[in-house]
Amino acid sequence: MLTYSILAGLLFGLYFSLIGLGLNLIFGVMRIVNLAHGDFVILGAYAAIGLFGLHAISPMAAAVACLFVFTIFGFPIYYALVPRLLRSSDPEMLSIILFFGLSQVIEALVNIGFGPTERSIPGRVLGTHPISVLGQSFPSAWVISAIASGLAVLLMFVYLYRTRVGRLTRAVMVHRDEALASGIDVDRVSALAFGIGLGLAGVAGCFAPFMLGSVTPAAGVDLTIQSFTVIIVGSLGSPLGTVLGGLVYGVSLMLMQTYFSSWAGLLPYVLLIVILLARPSGLLGRRIRYA
Amino acid sequence: MSSETQLGLDHSPSTLQPLLTVTGLVKKFGSFHALDGAGFNVKPGEVLGLIGPNGSGKTTCINVITGLYRPDQGTVLYQGKPIGGLPSHRLARLGINRTFQVPKPFMSLTVRENVEVAQSYGQAGGSADDGLKDIKILLEHLELDRDMNRLAAELTSAQQKMLDLARALATRPKLLCVDELGAGLNPSELSRVAERLRGLAKSGIALLVVEHLMDFVDQVTDRLVVLSAGKDIFSGPLALAARDPQVIEVFLGASDEH
Amino acid sequence: MPEHSPTAKWLRHVLLIIVPVVLVAALLPHVYSNRLLLFNFIVFLTLAQGVNIIYGFTGYLPFGYVGFFGAGAYGFAISVMHLHWSPFPSLVVGALTAVAIGAVLIPLLRLSGPYFAIANLAAALGLAQIVANPALQGITKGPYGVSLNGIYQPGLSYGTSIVILVFALACALYLRHSRFGLALQAVKNDPISAAMAGISVVKARTMAWLLSALIAGLIGANFAWYVSVFYPENVFSPDFSIFAIVFALFGGVATVTGPILGVLLLYGLYNFIGISSPQYFQLIYGLLIMVLVLFLPSGIGSLLRRWGIHVV
Repeated sequence: MLTYSILAGLLFGLYFSLIGLGLNLIFGVMRIVNLAHGDFVILGAYAAIGLFGLHAISPMAAAVACLFVFTIFGFPIYYALVPRLLRSSDPEMLSIILFFGLSQVIEALVNIGFGPTERSIPGRVLGTHPISVLGQSFPSAWVISAIASGLAVLLMFVYLYRTRVGRLTRAVMVHRDEALASGIDVDRVSALAFGIGLGLAGVAGCFAPFMLGSVTPAAGVDLTIQSFTVIIVGSLGSPLGTVLGGLVYGVSLMLMQTYFSSWAGLLPYVLLIVILLARPSGLLGRRIRYA
Repeated sequence: MSSETQLGLDHSPSTLQPLLTVTGLVKKFGSFHALDGAGFNVKPGEVLGLIGPNGSGKTTCINVITGLYRPDQGTVLYQGKPIGGLPSHRLARLGINRTFQVPKPFMSLTVRENVEVAQSYGQAGGSADDGLKDIKILLEHLELDRDMNRLAAELTSAQQKMLDLARALATRPKLLCVDELGAGLNPSELSRVAERLRGLAKSGIALLVVEHLMDFVDQVTDRLVVLSAGKDIFSGPLALAARDPQVIEVFLGASDEH
Repeated sequence: MPEHSPTAKWLRHVLLIIVPVVLVAALLPHVYSNRLLLFNFIVFLTLAQGVNIIYGFTGYLPFGYVGFFGAGAYGFAISVMHLHWSPFPSLVVGALTAVAIGAVLIPLLRLSGPYFAIANLAAALGLAQIVANPALQGITKGPYGVSLNGIYQPGLSYGTSIVILVFALACALYLRHSRFGLALQAVKNDPISAAMAGISVVKARTMAWLLSALIAGLIGANFAWYVSVFYPENVFSPDFSIFAIVFALFGGVATVTGPILGVLLLYGLYNFIGISSPQYFQLIYGLLIMVLVLFLPSGIGSLLRRWGIHVV
C-alpha cells in the first residue's frame, strides 16, 4: 500500500512538475503571476478532447501540436499584454487582476464551446495494459503521462542550460535590468519564455483527462492553485525547485488520499499557506518579497 | 574605532550629551556585511555628515537607525536608551525621522494630505490635532504651499524630495536623517536646501546627512564621519578628512573602479 | 475653493448617498415583485463595499472574500440549529465567526499583494471544503446542505439587509473622510514611508481586514436567514468573490460611489443576460477586467474624475 502510494505519488509528482514548470518560467522571467495558468492547461485538455473526439487524434500527437500552437500564440498575447503591465505602477498586482480576467475569458470560451459538463478521454487510448513499475502496476495512461512529463522537463533543462537562447533566458531570470543593460533583447526572450510557458501548460493539459479523471471548464482555478503550491514549495523561479516541488506535492497528495482520503483535498491549500508563511523561500531557498 | 582628530577645534554647536550613539553596528545580508562595526554619535543641533564610497553602508546605517532593518550586532542608543530593532512607527513617535534617497511620497494623496498624515500619526505621544495653519507654514517654508492641493504624483522630483522632508518634519523629529537630498538639484536649489537644513539644526534638531556631493557636505555639516566597507574610518571636519591618507585611499581607490 | 468643514462634508455625503439608497431599497419591493433579485443587489452592494474597504484602502485583493460570507452564513446556521438562538443574536454569531476567521488569517497580511491574493483564495477554498466535509456533518450538515426551520421571515430579513448595507456604506464613508482612512491610503501607497509617518502598518491593515470580514460576515449571515435553505457551494460560490471584486474594480475603489456604480451597471447587466447564459456574462466581465487593467486601472470613477465630476 505504502509503496504503491509513493510510486503513484512520484508519477503524479512528475506530472505536477510539468504543470508547474510553465508557470514558474513565466514568473521567473517576467515576475508576472499568470493566474490563468490552470485555464491554459484546461484549454489544452479540451483541445485534446476535441481532437480525439472529432478526428480520433491521439493525445500524444495533440500534446505536440499544443506545444507548438500555444507557444506561437504566446507571442501576440505577450506583446499585447506584458510590456504595458511592466510599465505600470504595480505590475505584480495588476498582472494578477489582468490574468484573472483572462482566466475568466478562457473559462467562458471553453464553456461556450464545449458546455459545462465533465469530459474525458478513455484511458485505453494511451494503452490497454497496466504497466508495471518496480513491482507495482499502474494504469498505462499514468505511466505514459509521467514519462511524457519527464521528457518535457528534460527538454526544458536542455533549453535553459544548453541553448544560447536558454542562457539568455536565465540571465534575464537572474537580473532583468542587467540583462537589458548588456544588450539582451529582453522583450524577445521574455516573449519566447511566455510562449513556452503556455506551451508547457498546453502539453500538460493534453494529459489532464487521464491524470485528473475528467475535466470541466471550471477546473482551471484549482489547477492554478495546485501549480502555485508546487512552485512555491519548490522555490519560485527555480526550475529544479519546481520538479522537486512537484514530486513532494505528488507524494504528499497520494499519501493523503490513501490514508486520510476525505481530507486530501485540503492539502494544496494548507501546503500553500503554510509554506508562504513559514518558509516562503521554498525548499531551495529563494526569496519572496514581504509587504 | 575612528581616528578622532579634534585638534582643539570643537565644531559641535553644543557640549550636550549625544542624542544618538551608534556603537559596533553590524548588518549582514547573507554573507555580505553591509555594516561591519560602524560607530559614531550625533549631538542635538549638530549636523553630522556621513560620507563614503558606494557600498560603504551609509544608507544601510540610516535604514537601521530608522527601523527598516534590525541590527545584527551592536547598539543604537537614542536619548540614552537602546532602540535597535524597534519598528519605524515607534521611532517616528520617539522623534526619529528620515528622507529617502529616491523620494517616497504618498502618490495618490495631495501634498497637504501627505503632511496631514504624518502630523496626525507621527508626533510624540501618538496623534495630535494641530491645525491646517501649521501645515501651511511648513509647506510655505519648503515652497510647496502653492501645490498644497495637487497630488504628490504630479510634483517634480525635486519637489517630491521637499515633500519627503515636509512629511518628516511634520512629525517634529529630534533626529532627522537625510539620505542624499542633494542629488539632482541645481546649485541654487542646493544652497537653499543647505540653508534650510542649517536652520533646522539651529532650532535644535540633530541631523545625520548622507551625501555624495562634497560641496553640499561642506555647506551643511559641522563635522563628518567617513564610512568604508561598513566601518567608520574617520571622524572630524571636512578639511581634515580631505587630508587623511586612509580617507583619500578609500575614495580614490573606489573612484578608480568607475 | 471654499473649505467645507469636515463634519458638514460628511453629513452631506451621508444624505446624498445613504438616504437615496435606503429609500430605493425599502420602497422598491412595493412596486417590483422580485424581492430576491433586490436582495441579491443589496448583497452585492454590501460585498463590493467590503472589497472596497480592503482593496481600495490597503491594496490587498481578497480573492477569497467569499470565505467570510460563507463563514457568516454557517455561523448563523450553526447558531440557529445547535444553539437554538433567534435570528438577531444568530446574525451576531455569524458576523463574529467571520471576524474569527479573519483573525486566524491575519498572518496572511505579512505577505505582499499577489501572494496574499492567492493565499486568501486558497484559504477560502479550504474553508469551503472543511465545511462541506461529511466528517463534519454533525455540525455543518456537510455536503447535504442546511435547512433552517422556523426562522423564515423574508420581510424582516430583507429589512436587516438594508441596515447592513447602510453600515457598510457608513464604514466606507468614514474611511473616505477620516484620518484613519488617509492613513490606510498612505500604507497602501508606501508602507515604509507610512511607517516613518508614525503609522503602525500592521495595525492599520489588520483593522481594515477585520472590518471587511465583519461586513461580509454580517451579510452572509443575513443571506442564510433570508434563504433559510442552502448548500456549501451556494454560500462559498467563487462568484461572490469574483463579482464583488469586478464590481468594485469597475466602479473604482477608494471611493464610496464607485462600487455602487459598478454593482448597478454590471449586476444589472448580469440580470439581463447572465442568468440564462452565465458563460456570456463571464466572457464579458473577463474582457472588461482585462480592458480595465490595461486602460483604466482606477475604474469608471477615475474617468468621471477626469471629466471634472467629483466622485465621493
